[in-house]
Amino acid sequence: MALKFKGKAWIFGDNLDVDKDIIPFRKMNLGLITFDNLGDWCMTNVDPDFPRKVKKGDIMVVGKNMGCGHSHQQANKAIKQCGISCVIAESFDRNFFRNSIDIGLPIIEYTDIRKMVKEGDHLELDLHRGQIKNISTAKTLNFTPLPDFLLDILEAGDVESHVNKLIAEGKV
Amino acid sequence: MGKTIVEKILAKASGKKEVSPGEYVEVRIKTYIQVSSDGGGTPMPETFVKFGWDKLWDPSKVVIVPDHCGSYTPLSYDATNNNRENHRRNSEWARNMGVPEENILDLGRVGNCHHMGIEEGWALPGSVYVHADTHSMTVGGVGCFGPCVTASMAALLRTGLTWFRVPESIKFNITGKLQDGVMGRDVYEYILGQIGPAGAIYQVMEYTGPVMDEMSMDGRLSMCCLSIFTGAKLGIVNPDQKIIDWFKARTNVPFEPQVSDLDARYIKTYNYDGAKIEPQVVVPPLRHTVQNISAVEGIKVTNAFIGSCASGRDEDMRIAARILKGHKVHPGVMFNITPGSSAAMMRSAQEGVIATLLEAGCFICAPGCGMCPGYYTPLTKNEVCITSSTTNYPGRMGDETAQVYLGSPATVAASALEGKITDPRKYL
Repeated sequence: MALKFKGKAWIFGDNLDVDKDIIPFRKMNLGLITFDNLGDWCMTNVDPDFPRKVKKGDIMVVGKNMGCGHSHQQANKAIKQCGISCVIAESFDRNFFRNSIDIGLPIIEYTDIRKMVKEGDHLELDLHRGQIKNISTAKTLNFTPLPDFLLDILEAGDVESHVNKLIAEGKV
Repeated sequence: MGKTIVEKILAKASGKKEVSPGEYVEVRIKTYIQVSSDGGGTPMPETFVKFGWDKLWDPSKVVIVPDHCGSYTPLSYDATNNNRENHRRNSEWARNMGVPEENILDLGRVGNCHHMGIEEGWALPGSVYVHADTHSMTVGGVGCFGPCVTASMAALLRTGLTWFRVPESIKFNITGKLQDGVMGRDVYEYILGQIGPAGAIYQVMEYTGPVMDEMSMDGRLSMCCLSIFTGAKLGIVNPDQKIIDWFKARTNVPFEPQVSDLDARYIKTYNYDGAKIEPQVVVPPLRHTVQNISAVEGIKVTNAFIGSCASGRDEDMRIAARILKGHKVHPGVMFNITPGSSAAMMRSAQEGVIATLLEAGCFICAPGCGMCPGYYTPLTKNEVCITSSTTNYPGRMGDETAQVYLGSPATVAASALEGKITDPRKYL
Protein backbone atom coordinates (compact mmCIF):
# COMPACT_ATOMS: atom_id res chain seq x y z
CA MET A 1 0.00 0.00 0.00
CA ALA A 2 1.40 3.34 -0.98
CA LEU A 3 -0.53 5.38 1.58
CA LYS A 4 -2.08 7.54 -1.16
CA PHE A 5 -5.78 8.31 -0.94
CA LYS A 6 -8.44 10.11 -2.96
CA GLY A 7 -11.87 11.13 -1.73
CA LYS A 8 -14.40 13.73 -0.78
CA ALA A 9 -14.02 15.77 2.41
CA TRP A 10 -16.46 15.60 5.31
CA ILE A 11 -16.02 18.42 7.80
CA PHE A 12 -16.50 18.09 11.59
CA GLY A 13 -15.80 20.27 14.63
CA ASP A 14 -13.53 20.31 17.69
CA ASN A 15 -13.32 17.90 20.65
CA LEU A 16 -15.08 14.93 19.03
CA ASP A 17 -15.41 12.49 21.94
CA VAL A 18 -14.71 8.84 21.23
CA ASP A 19 -17.82 7.53 23.03
CA LYS A 20 -20.17 10.47 22.71
CA ASP A 21 -19.60 11.60 19.12
CA ILE A 22 -17.57 9.08 17.11
CA ILE A 23 -19.53 5.96 18.10
CA PRO A 24 -22.32 5.82 20.71
CA PHE A 25 -20.90 4.11 23.82
CA ARG A 26 -23.76 1.61 23.97
CA LYS A 27 -23.05 0.46 20.38
CA MET A 28 -19.39 -0.39 21.00
CA ASN A 29 -19.96 -3.91 22.26
CA LEU A 30 -17.35 -3.31 24.95
CA GLY A 31 -15.72 -6.47 26.19
CA LEU A 32 -16.98 -8.61 23.31
CA ILE A 33 -14.40 -10.52 21.37
CA THR A 34 -15.37 -9.15 17.98
CA PHE A 35 -15.18 -5.70 16.45
CA ASP A 36 -17.89 -6.27 13.80
CA ASN A 37 -20.44 -3.79 12.45
CA LEU A 38 -18.97 -0.75 14.19
CA GLY A 39 -18.99 1.24 10.93
CA ASP A 40 -22.80 1.30 10.94
CA TRP A 41 -22.64 3.62 13.96
CA CYS A 42 -19.80 5.90 12.89
CA MET A 43 -20.61 9.54 13.80
CA THR A 44 -24.34 8.77 14.05
CA ASN A 45 -24.75 10.92 17.18
CA VAL A 46 -23.56 13.91 15.11
CA ASP A 47 -25.11 12.97 11.74
CA PRO A 48 -27.44 9.92 11.84
CA ASP A 49 -27.06 9.28 8.07
CA PHE A 50 -23.26 9.57 7.96
CA PRO A 51 -22.45 5.86 7.45
CA ARG A 52 -24.87 5.71 4.50
CA LYS A 53 -23.59 8.92 2.88
CA VAL A 54 -19.87 8.11 3.03
CA LYS A 55 -18.25 6.61 -0.06
CA LYS A 56 -15.24 4.33 0.22
CA GLY A 57 -12.10 6.44 0.28
CA ASP A 58 -13.71 9.61 1.64
CA ILE A 59 -11.73 11.73 4.07
CA MET A 60 -12.71 13.19 7.45
CA VAL A 61 -11.50 16.73 8.09
CA VAL A 62 -11.88 17.69 11.75
CA GLY A 63 -10.88 20.33 14.27
CA LYS A 64 -8.86 20.25 17.44
CA ASN A 65 -8.48 17.43 19.98
CA MET A 66 -9.89 14.78 17.63
CA GLY A 67 -10.89 11.60 19.48
CA CYS A 68 -10.82 12.95 23.02
CA GLY A 69 -12.16 11.05 26.02
CA HIS A 70 -11.64 7.36 26.55
CA SER A 71 -9.18 5.20 24.64
CA HIS A 72 -11.68 2.89 22.97
CA GLN A 73 -10.21 1.57 19.72
CA GLN A 74 -13.76 0.77 18.57
CA ALA A 75 -14.03 4.45 17.55
CA ASN A 76 -11.01 4.22 15.24
CA LYS A 77 -12.32 0.93 13.85
CA ALA A 78 -15.79 2.45 13.27
CA ILE A 79 -14.22 5.19 11.12
CA LYS A 80 -12.10 2.70 9.19
CA GLN A 81 -14.99 0.23 8.72
CA CYS A 82 -17.38 2.85 7.37
CA GLY A 83 -15.01 3.50 4.48
CA ILE A 84 -13.04 6.59 5.53
CA SER A 85 -9.51 6.35 4.11
CA CYS A 86 -7.83 9.01 6.27
CA VAL A 87 -8.57 11.49 9.06
CA ILE A 88 -7.02 14.97 8.87
CA ALA A 89 -7.28 16.90 12.15
CA GLU A 90 -5.97 20.17 13.49
CA SER A 91 -4.78 18.17 16.51
CA PHE A 92 -5.34 14.68 17.88
CA ASP A 93 -6.00 13.29 21.32
CA ARG A 94 -2.94 11.20 22.11
CA ASN A 95 -4.82 7.93 22.63
CA PHE A 96 -6.78 8.38 19.41
CA PHE A 97 -3.51 9.09 17.56
CA ARG A 98 -1.88 5.95 18.90
CA ASN A 99 -4.89 3.70 18.33
CA SER A 100 -5.18 4.97 14.74
CA ILE A 101 -1.61 3.92 13.98
CA ASP A 102 -2.09 0.55 15.67
CA ILE A 103 -5.32 -0.39 13.88
CA GLY A 104 -4.12 1.05 10.56
CA LEU A 105 -6.29 4.15 10.18
CA PRO A 106 -4.15 6.73 8.35
CA ILE A 107 -4.06 10.17 9.99
CA ILE A 108 -2.60 13.57 9.20
CA GLU A 109 -2.15 16.46 11.61
CA TYR A 110 -2.51 19.85 9.90
CA THR A 111 -3.15 23.09 11.79
CA ASP A 112 -5.94 25.18 10.24
CA ILE A 113 -6.99 22.45 7.79
CA ARG A 114 -10.60 23.65 8.00
CA LYS A 115 -9.55 26.99 6.55
CA MET A 116 -8.17 25.22 3.49
CA VAL A 117 -10.88 22.62 2.85
CA LYS A 118 -14.68 22.87 2.47
CA GLU A 119 -17.23 20.08 2.79
CA GLY A 120 -17.36 18.15 -0.46
CA ASP A 121 -13.92 19.25 -1.74
CA HIS A 122 -12.03 16.50 -3.56
CA LEU A 123 -8.72 15.71 -1.88
CA GLU A 124 -5.69 13.66 -2.83
CA LEU A 125 -3.35 12.64 -0.02
CA ASP A 126 0.16 11.24 0.03
CA LEU A 127 1.32 10.33 3.53
CA HIS A 128 4.90 9.52 2.48
CA ARG A 129 5.44 12.78 0.59
CA GLY A 130 3.52 14.79 3.17
CA GLN A 131 1.13 16.31 0.68
CA ILE A 132 -2.57 17.25 0.68
CA LYS A 133 -3.84 18.29 -2.76
CA ASN A 134 -7.20 20.06 -2.78
CA ILE A 135 -8.34 19.29 -6.34
CA SER A 136 -11.42 21.52 -5.93
CA THR A 137 -9.35 24.63 -5.13
CA ALA A 138 -6.19 23.58 -6.96
CA LYS A 139 -4.11 24.19 -3.82
CA THR A 140 -1.41 21.93 -2.41
CA LEU A 141 -0.57 21.81 1.31
CA ASN A 142 2.60 20.26 2.70
CA PHE A 143 3.04 18.64 6.07
CA THR A 144 5.85 16.79 7.85
CA PRO A 145 5.30 13.07 7.27
CA LEU A 146 5.04 10.72 10.25
CA PRO A 147 8.32 8.97 11.12
CA ASP A 148 9.04 5.95 8.92
CA PHE A 149 8.41 3.36 11.61
CA LEU A 150 4.83 4.63 12.09
CA LEU A 151 4.24 4.72 8.32
CA ASP A 152 5.50 1.11 8.26
CA ILE A 153 2.76 0.10 10.74
CA LEU A 154 0.10 1.89 8.65
CA GLU A 155 1.41 0.17 5.51
CA ALA A 156 1.30 -3.25 7.15
CA GLY A 157 -2.40 -2.65 7.91
CA ASP A 158 -2.15 -2.96 11.70
CA VAL A 159 0.47 -3.31 14.42
CA GLU A 160 0.08 -7.09 14.65
CA SER A 161 0.77 -7.58 10.93
CA HIS A 162 3.74 -5.24 11.32
CA VAL A 163 5.10 -7.43 14.15
CA ASN A 164 4.74 -10.48 11.90
CA LYS A 165 6.81 -8.71 9.27
CA LEU A 166 9.50 -7.99 11.87
CA ILE A 167 9.39 -11.61 13.07
CA ALA A 168 9.80 -12.85 9.47
CA GLU A 169 12.79 -10.52 9.05
CA GLY A 170 14.29 -11.80 12.32
CA LYS A 171 14.15 -8.33 13.87
CA VAL A 172 12.22 -9.22 17.03
CA MET B 1 19.51 22.15 31.16
CA GLY B 2 17.49 20.16 33.69
CA LYS B 3 14.99 17.46 32.81
CA THR B 4 11.42 16.72 33.89
CA ILE B 5 10.46 13.54 35.72
CA VAL B 6 8.95 12.15 32.50
CA GLU B 7 12.04 12.92 30.41
CA LYS B 8 14.20 11.20 33.03
CA ILE B 9 11.98 8.10 33.17
CA LEU B 10 11.89 7.79 29.36
CA ALA B 11 15.65 8.30 29.02
CA LYS B 12 16.33 5.55 31.53
CA ALA B 13 13.75 3.18 30.00
CA SER B 14 15.06 3.65 26.45
CA GLY B 15 18.71 3.36 27.50
CA LYS B 16 19.59 6.90 26.43
CA LYS B 17 21.57 9.53 28.28
CA GLU B 18 18.77 12.04 27.79
CA VAL B 19 15.65 12.57 25.71
CA SER B 20 13.80 15.70 24.61
CA PRO B 21 10.17 16.46 23.71
CA GLY B 22 9.17 15.45 20.18
CA GLU B 23 11.67 12.57 20.04
CA TYR B 24 10.38 9.02 19.50
CA VAL B 25 11.84 6.31 21.73
CA GLU B 26 11.60 2.54 21.79
CA VAL B 27 11.09 1.06 25.25
CA ARG B 28 11.26 -2.50 26.55
CA ILE B 29 8.59 -2.86 29.22
CA LYS B 30 9.97 -4.45 32.39
CA THR B 31 7.12 -3.97 34.88
CA TYR B 32 4.19 -6.37 35.25
CA ILE B 33 1.57 -6.09 32.52
CA GLN B 34 -2.08 -6.72 33.29
CA VAL B 35 -4.35 -8.50 30.85
CA SER B 36 -7.92 -7.91 31.86
CA SER B 37 -11.36 -8.18 30.39
CA ASP B 38 -11.53 -4.43 29.88
CA GLY B 39 -13.68 -2.69 27.34
CA GLY B 40 -11.50 -0.97 24.80
CA GLY B 41 -8.74 -3.55 24.72
CA THR B 42 -7.86 -6.22 22.19
CA PRO B 43 -9.09 -9.77 22.95
CA MET B 44 -5.77 -11.56 23.53
CA PRO B 45 -6.53 -15.27 22.98
CA GLU B 46 -8.27 -14.58 19.67
CA THR B 47 -5.62 -12.11 18.48
CA PHE B 48 -2.74 -14.48 19.26
CA VAL B 49 -4.47 -17.24 17.28
CA LYS B 50 -5.27 -14.90 14.40
CA PHE B 51 -1.64 -13.82 13.98
CA GLY B 52 -0.14 -17.24 14.66
CA TRP B 53 1.66 -16.26 17.87
CA ASP B 54 2.44 -19.02 20.35
CA LYS B 55 4.50 -17.21 22.97
CA LEU B 56 4.72 -14.13 25.15
CA TRP B 57 7.86 -12.01 25.46
CA ASP B 58 8.00 -12.61 29.23
CA PRO B 59 5.18 -14.74 30.69
CA SER B 60 6.52 -14.23 34.22
CA LYS B 61 5.61 -10.53 33.98
CA VAL B 62 2.03 -11.01 32.75
CA VAL B 63 -0.87 -10.94 35.23
CA ILE B 64 -4.48 -11.81 34.50
CA VAL B 65 -7.01 -9.65 36.31
CA PRO B 66 -10.81 -9.93 35.94
CA ASP B 67 -11.10 -6.19 35.92
CA HIS B 68 -13.89 -4.09 34.40
CA CYS B 69 -16.41 -6.83 33.91
CA GLY B 70 -15.06 -9.63 36.05
CA SER B 71 -17.49 -9.51 38.91
CA TYR B 72 -20.45 -7.91 37.18
CA THR B 73 -23.58 -8.42 35.18
CA PRO B 74 -22.95 -10.50 32.11
CA LEU B 75 -22.58 -8.65 28.82
CA SER B 76 -25.23 -11.01 27.59
CA TYR B 77 -26.73 -14.25 28.86
CA ASP B 78 -25.13 -16.09 25.98
CA ALA B 79 -23.00 -18.85 27.57
CA THR B 80 -20.13 -18.13 25.17
CA ASN B 81 -20.12 -14.39 25.60
CA ASN B 82 -20.22 -13.18 29.17
CA ASN B 83 -17.71 -11.67 31.56
CA ARG B 84 -16.88 -14.81 33.49
CA GLU B 85 -16.39 -16.65 30.23
CA ASN B 86 -14.04 -13.89 29.00
CA HIS B 87 -12.03 -14.23 32.20
CA ARG B 88 -11.92 -18.02 31.92
CA ARG B 89 -10.74 -17.73 28.31
CA ASN B 90 -8.01 -15.22 29.26
CA SER B 91 -6.86 -17.43 32.16
CA GLU B 92 -6.70 -20.57 30.03
CA TRP B 93 -4.78 -18.70 27.33
CA ALA B 94 -2.34 -17.38 29.93
CA ARG B 95 -1.67 -20.88 31.33
CA ASN B 96 -1.00 -22.15 27.81
CA MET B 97 1.43 -19.27 27.28
CA GLY B 98 3.37 -20.18 30.42
CA VAL B 99 2.10 -17.46 32.75
CA PRO B 100 2.74 -18.70 36.33
CA GLU B 101 -0.35 -19.81 38.23
CA GLU B 102 0.19 -17.18 40.94
CA ASN B 103 -0.14 -14.44 38.31
CA ILE B 104 -3.66 -15.54 37.36
CA LEU B 105 -5.88 -13.72 39.81
CA ASP B 106 -9.58 -14.12 40.41
CA LEU B 107 -12.26 -12.37 42.46
CA GLY B 108 -11.44 -11.93 46.12
CA ARG B 109 -7.89 -10.78 45.38
CA VAL B 110 -8.54 -8.08 42.82
CA GLY B 111 -10.44 -4.91 42.00
CA ASN B 112 -10.31 -2.16 39.41
CA CYS B 113 -7.15 -2.66 37.34
CA HIS B 114 -5.68 0.78 38.07
CA HIS B 115 -6.06 0.33 41.83
CA MET B 116 -4.36 -3.05 41.41
CA GLY B 117 -1.18 -1.55 39.95
CA ILE B 118 -0.86 0.48 43.16
CA GLU B 119 -2.08 -2.14 45.66
CA GLU B 120 0.21 -4.86 44.30
CA GLY B 121 3.20 -2.57 43.76
CA TRP B 122 3.39 -3.18 39.99
CA ALA B 123 3.35 0.50 38.93
CA LEU B 124 6.77 1.33 40.34
CA PRO B 125 7.82 4.98 40.81
CA GLY B 126 10.36 5.89 38.13
CA SER B 127 9.28 3.12 35.76
CA VAL B 128 7.33 2.85 32.50
CA TYR B 129 4.13 0.89 33.15
CA VAL B 130 1.47 0.30 30.50
CA HIS B 131 -2.15 -0.75 30.40
CA ALA B 132 -4.76 -1.13 27.67
CA ASP B 133 -7.31 1.02 29.49
CA THR B 134 -7.64 4.80 29.21
CA HIS B 135 -7.04 5.51 32.88
CA SER B 136 -3.65 3.76 32.92
CA MET B 137 -2.32 7.24 33.69
CA THR B 138 -3.74 6.97 37.24
CA VAL B 139 -0.32 5.67 38.31
CA GLY B 140 1.19 9.09 37.61
CA GLY B 141 0.07 9.77 41.16
CA VAL B 142 3.03 7.72 42.40
CA GLY B 143 5.54 9.15 39.93
CA CYS B 144 5.15 6.29 37.45
CA PHE B 145 4.93 6.91 33.68
CA GLY B 146 1.74 5.03 32.78
CA PRO B 147 0.46 5.79 29.29
CA CYS B 148 -2.42 3.87 27.84
CA VAL B 149 -1.48 1.60 24.92
CA THR B 150 -4.88 0.14 24.01
CA ALA B 151 -4.41 -1.26 20.52
CA SER B 152 -0.64 -1.81 20.93
CA MET B 153 -1.08 -4.29 23.75
CA ALA B 154 -1.14 -7.60 21.83
CA ALA B 155 1.99 -6.69 19.87
CA LEU B 156 3.66 -5.49 23.06
CA LEU B 157 2.93 -8.73 24.90
CA ARG B 158 4.47 -10.63 22.00
CA THR B 159 7.62 -8.51 21.59
CA GLY B 160 8.07 -6.72 24.95
CA LEU B 161 8.66 -3.55 22.96
CA THR B 162 6.70 -0.40 22.28
CA TRP B 163 7.25 3.21 21.24
CA PHE B 164 6.50 6.60 22.78
CA ARG B 165 6.75 10.18 21.59
CA VAL B 166 8.46 12.15 24.37
CA PRO B 167 5.82 14.68 25.44
CA GLU B 168 6.20 18.30 26.42
CA SER B 169 5.34 19.05 30.04
CA ILE B 170 3.13 21.72 31.58
CA LYS B 171 3.68 22.64 35.22
CA PHE B 172 0.68 23.23 37.47
CA ASN B 173 1.83 24.90 40.65
CA ILE B 174 -0.91 24.72 43.30
CA THR B 175 -0.05 26.99 46.21
CA GLY B 176 -1.68 27.55 49.61
CA LYS B 177 -3.82 24.98 51.37
CA LEU B 178 -7.09 23.31 50.33
CA GLN B 179 -10.21 23.92 52.41
CA ASP B 180 -11.57 20.92 54.34
CA GLY B 181 -14.00 19.16 51.99
CA VAL B 182 -12.08 20.19 48.86
CA MET B 183 -10.30 17.16 47.43
CA GLY B 184 -7.76 16.29 44.71
CA ARG B 185 -10.72 15.68 42.44
CA ASP B 186 -11.84 19.30 42.83
CA VAL B 187 -8.34 20.56 42.02
CA TYR B 188 -8.31 18.61 38.75
CA GLU B 189 -11.82 19.68 37.68
CA TYR B 190 -10.93 23.28 38.56
CA ILE B 191 -7.91 23.07 36.25
CA LEU B 192 -10.10 21.55 33.51
CA GLY B 193 -12.47 24.51 33.92
CA GLN B 194 -9.52 26.89 33.50
CA ILE B 195 -7.69 25.32 30.53
CA GLY B 196 -10.52 23.43 28.78
CA PRO B 197 -10.71 19.97 27.20
CA ALA B 198 -7.94 20.73 24.70
CA GLY B 199 -5.73 22.51 27.24
CA ALA B 200 -2.92 19.95 27.38
CA ILE B 201 -3.08 17.96 24.15
CA TYR B 202 -0.38 15.27 23.98
CA GLN B 203 1.33 16.95 26.94
CA VAL B 204 2.16 15.91 30.48
CA MET B 205 0.40 17.70 33.32
CA GLU B 206 2.91 17.82 36.15
CA TYR B 207 1.19 18.79 39.39
CA THR B 208 3.43 20.46 41.97
CA GLY B 209 3.42 22.94 44.84
CA PRO B 210 2.48 22.96 48.52
CA VAL B 211 -1.02 21.57 47.91
CA MET B 212 0.42 18.56 46.08
CA ASP B 213 3.10 18.03 48.75
CA GLU B 214 0.42 17.80 51.39
CA MET B 215 -2.06 15.78 49.31
CA SER B 216 -2.55 12.08 50.07
CA MET B 217 -1.53 9.43 47.56
CA ASP B 218 -5.25 8.77 46.99
CA GLY B 219 -5.89 12.39 45.99
CA ARG B 220 -2.88 12.42 43.65
CA LEU B 221 -4.02 9.19 41.98
CA SER B 222 -7.47 10.66 41.43
CA MET B 223 -6.06 13.80 39.75
CA CYS B 224 -3.76 11.80 37.49
CA CYS B 225 -6.55 9.36 36.61
CA LEU B 226 -8.66 12.21 35.22
CA SER B 227 -5.89 14.00 33.31
CA ILE B 228 -7.13 12.55 30.00
CA PHE B 229 -10.06 14.96 30.04
CA THR B 230 -7.78 17.92 29.36
CA GLY B 231 -6.36 16.04 26.36
CA ALA B 232 -3.17 15.18 28.24
CA LYS B 233 -0.94 12.20 27.57
CA LEU B 234 -0.89 11.82 31.32
CA GLY B 235 -0.68 13.56 34.69
CA ILE B 236 2.20 12.99 37.09
CA VAL B 237 3.33 13.98 40.58
CA ASN B 238 6.94 13.82 41.82
CA PRO B 239 7.04 10.97 44.34
CA ASP B 240 7.92 11.69 47.98
CA GLN B 241 8.77 9.53 50.98
CA LYS B 242 5.19 8.39 51.62
CA ILE B 243 5.01 6.98 48.09
CA ILE B 244 8.39 5.25 48.40
CA ASP B 245 7.33 3.73 51.75
CA TRP B 246 4.09 2.44 50.22
CA PHE B 247 5.98 0.54 47.50
CA LYS B 248 8.74 -0.72 49.79
CA ALA B 249 6.01 -2.35 51.88
CA ARG B 250 4.57 -4.11 48.83
CA THR B 251 7.35 -5.28 46.55
CA ASN B 252 10.90 -6.60 46.60
CA VAL B 253 11.47 -5.45 43.04
CA PRO B 254 14.08 -2.66 43.10
CA PHE B 255 12.98 0.72 41.74
CA GLU B 256 14.55 4.13 41.19
CA PRO B 257 12.14 7.02 41.75
CA GLN B 258 12.77 10.07 39.57
CA VAL B 259 11.94 13.71 40.24
CA SER B 260 12.06 16.79 38.02
CA ASP B 261 15.16 18.97 38.15
CA LEU B 262 14.62 22.49 39.48
CA ASP B 263 15.70 23.92 36.11
CA ALA B 264 13.63 21.49 34.00
CA ARG B 265 11.97 23.03 30.96
CA TYR B 266 8.19 23.39 30.82
CA ILE B 267 6.19 24.59 27.85
CA LYS B 268 3.92 26.54 30.23
CA THR B 269 3.44 27.09 33.94
CA TYR B 270 0.09 27.74 35.57
CA ASN B 271 -0.18 29.00 39.15
CA TYR B 272 -3.37 28.49 41.15
CA ASP B 273 -4.21 29.35 44.74
CA GLY B 274 -5.52 26.13 46.29
CA ALA B 275 -7.32 28.00 49.08
CA LYS B 276 -9.64 29.61 46.52
CA ILE B 277 -10.76 26.33 44.94
CA GLU B 278 -14.40 25.49 45.77
CA PRO B 279 -15.94 22.05 45.39
CA GLN B 280 -16.38 21.59 41.62
CA VAL B 281 -19.22 19.91 39.72
CA VAL B 282 -19.17 18.84 36.05
CA VAL B 283 -22.61 19.31 34.51
CA PRO B 284 -23.93 16.91 31.82
CA PRO B 285 -23.87 16.18 28.95
CA LEU B 286 -20.36 17.59 28.26
CA ARG B 287 -17.30 16.43 30.21
CA HIS B 288 -15.89 19.94 30.40
CA THR B 289 -18.73 22.12 31.71
CA VAL B 290 -17.24 22.74 35.16
CA GLN B 291 -18.99 24.89 37.76
CA ASN B 292 -18.52 25.91 41.36
CA ILE B 293 -20.90 23.89 43.49
CA SER B 294 -22.93 27.00 44.40
CA ALA B 295 -24.18 27.15 40.77
CA VAL B 296 -25.77 23.68 40.90
CA GLU B 297 -26.71 23.22 44.57
CA GLY B 298 -30.24 21.94 45.03
CA ILE B 299 -30.49 19.82 41.85
CA LYS B 300 -32.33 16.64 42.88
CA VAL B 301 -30.49 13.33 42.54
CA THR B 302 -31.80 9.76 42.53
CA ASN B 303 -28.45 7.96 42.54
CA ALA B 304 -25.05 8.52 44.04
CA PHE B 305 -21.89 6.56 43.31
CA ILE B 306 -18.36 6.50 44.71
CA GLY B 307 -16.00 4.14 42.88
CA SER B 308 -14.11 3.44 39.62
CA CYS B 309 -10.43 4.24 39.02
CA ALA B 310 -11.16 7.91 39.83
CA SER B 311 -12.26 7.16 43.40
CA GLY B 312 -13.10 4.23 45.71
CA ARG B 313 -9.83 4.55 47.60
CA ASP B 314 -9.49 4.61 51.42
CA GLU B 315 -9.66 8.40 51.68
CA ASP B 316 -12.82 8.55 49.53
CA MET B 317 -14.71 6.04 51.66
CA ARG B 318 -13.36 7.64 54.84
CA ILE B 319 -14.67 11.11 53.97
CA ALA B 320 -18.06 9.65 52.94
CA ALA B 321 -18.25 7.95 56.34
CA ARG B 322 -17.28 11.21 58.10
CA ILE B 323 -20.17 12.99 56.36
CA LEU B 324 -22.73 10.19 56.78
CA LYS B 325 -21.91 9.17 60.37
CA GLY B 326 -25.10 9.37 62.42
CA HIS B 327 -27.21 10.18 59.35
CA LYS B 328 -29.15 8.20 56.76
CA VAL B 329 -28.91 8.34 52.99
CA HIS B 330 -31.92 10.29 51.63
CA PRO B 331 -34.87 7.89 51.04
CA GLY B 332 -35.05 8.88 47.37
CA VAL B 333 -31.40 7.98 46.71
CA MET B 334 -29.61 4.70 45.96
CA PHE B 335 -25.99 5.26 47.08
CA ASN B 336 -23.62 2.70 45.57
CA ILE B 337 -20.13 2.64 47.07
CA THR B 338 -17.72 0.34 45.27
CA PRO B 339 -14.28 -0.07 46.88
CA GLY B 340 -11.53 0.05 44.27
CA SER B 341 -9.94 -3.18 45.46
CA SER B 342 -10.34 -5.99 47.95
CA ALA B 343 -7.36 -4.53 49.85
CA ALA B 344 -8.97 -1.07 50.17
CA MET B 345 -12.23 -2.70 51.23
CA MET B 346 -10.47 -4.70 53.92
CA ARG B 347 -8.63 -1.66 55.32
CA SER B 348 -11.90 0.30 55.34
CA ALA B 349 -13.66 -2.55 57.12
CA GLN B 350 -10.89 -2.68 59.75
CA GLU B 351 -11.20 1.08 60.30
CA GLY B 352 -14.97 0.79 60.81
CA VAL B 353 -15.64 2.91 57.72
CA ILE B 354 -17.63 0.19 55.95
CA ALA B 355 -19.86 -0.32 59.02
CA THR B 356 -20.63 3.42 59.15
CA LEU B 357 -21.53 3.42 55.47
CA LEU B 358 -23.77 0.36 55.85
CA GLU B 359 -25.49 1.90 58.88
CA ALA B 360 -26.23 4.99 56.80
CA GLY B 361 -27.93 2.84 54.16
CA CYS B 362 -25.24 2.70 51.48
CA PHE B 363 -25.11 -0.21 49.06
CA ILE B 364 -21.56 -1.64 49.18
CA CYS B 365 -20.65 -3.41 45.95
CA ALA B 366 -17.98 -5.95 45.08
CA PRO B 367 -14.59 -4.27 44.40
CA GLY B 368 -14.09 -3.25 40.78
CA CYS B 369 -15.26 -0.55 38.38
CA GLY B 370 -18.79 -0.39 39.80
CA MET B 371 -21.40 1.77 38.09
CA CYS B 372 -18.91 3.84 36.08
CA PRO B 373 -19.42 1.97 32.78
CA GLY B 374 -22.98 1.02 33.69
CA TYR B 375 -22.29 -2.25 35.52
CA TYR B 376 -24.08 -3.78 38.49
CA THR B 377 -26.66 -1.03 39.16
CA PRO B 378 -26.97 0.81 35.82
CA LEU B 379 -28.92 4.07 35.72
CA THR B 380 -32.45 3.69 34.40
CA LYS B 381 -34.68 6.10 32.48
CA ASN B 382 -34.39 9.77 33.50
CA GLU B 383 -32.45 9.06 36.70
CA VAL B 384 -30.04 11.71 37.94
CA CYS B 385 -26.73 10.62 39.41
CA ILE B 386 -23.98 12.44 41.30
CA THR B 387 -20.72 10.52 41.12
CA SER B 388 -16.99 10.67 41.65
CA SER B 389 -16.39 8.24 38.76
CA THR B 390 -14.73 9.15 35.47
CA THR B 391 -17.14 10.66 32.96
CA ASN B 392 -20.69 11.66 32.15
CA TYR B 393 -21.76 11.42 28.50
CA PRO B 394 -25.26 10.06 27.82
CA GLY B 395 -25.38 6.28 28.23
CA ARG B 396 -22.07 5.99 30.09
CA MET B 397 -23.67 4.71 33.29
CA GLY B 398 -26.77 3.11 31.82
CA ASP B 399 -29.81 4.54 30.06
CA GLU B 400 -29.12 7.37 27.60
CA THR B 401 -31.81 9.57 29.20
CA ALA B 402 -30.09 9.45 32.61
CA GLN B 403 -28.04 12.49 33.66
CA VAL B 404 -24.64 12.26 35.33
CA TYR B 405 -23.11 15.05 37.43
CA LEU B 406 -19.49 14.63 38.53
CA GLY B 407 -18.06 15.78 41.85
CA SER B 408 -15.68 14.75 44.62
CA PRO B 409 -16.47 11.81 46.94
CA ALA B 410 -17.28 14.40 49.65
CA THR B 411 -19.76 16.16 47.36
CA VAL B 412 -21.30 12.81 46.38
CA ALA B 413 -21.77 11.79 50.04
CA ALA B 414 -23.30 15.13 51.09
CA SER B 415 -25.61 15.05 48.06
CA ALA B 416 -26.71 11.47 48.81
CA LEU B 417 -27.57 12.57 52.32
CA GLU B 418 -29.79 15.47 51.22
CA GLY B 419 -31.14 13.98 47.96
CA LYS B 420 -29.88 17.00 46.06
CA ILE B 421 -26.50 18.40 45.06
CA THR B 422 -25.03 19.68 48.32
CA ASP B 423 -21.84 21.48 49.37
CA PRO B 424 -19.98 19.00 51.60
CA ARG B 425 -18.21 21.70 53.61
CA LYS B 426 -21.17 22.18 55.91
CA TYR B 427 -20.86 18.57 57.13
CA LEU B 428 -17.13 18.78 57.85
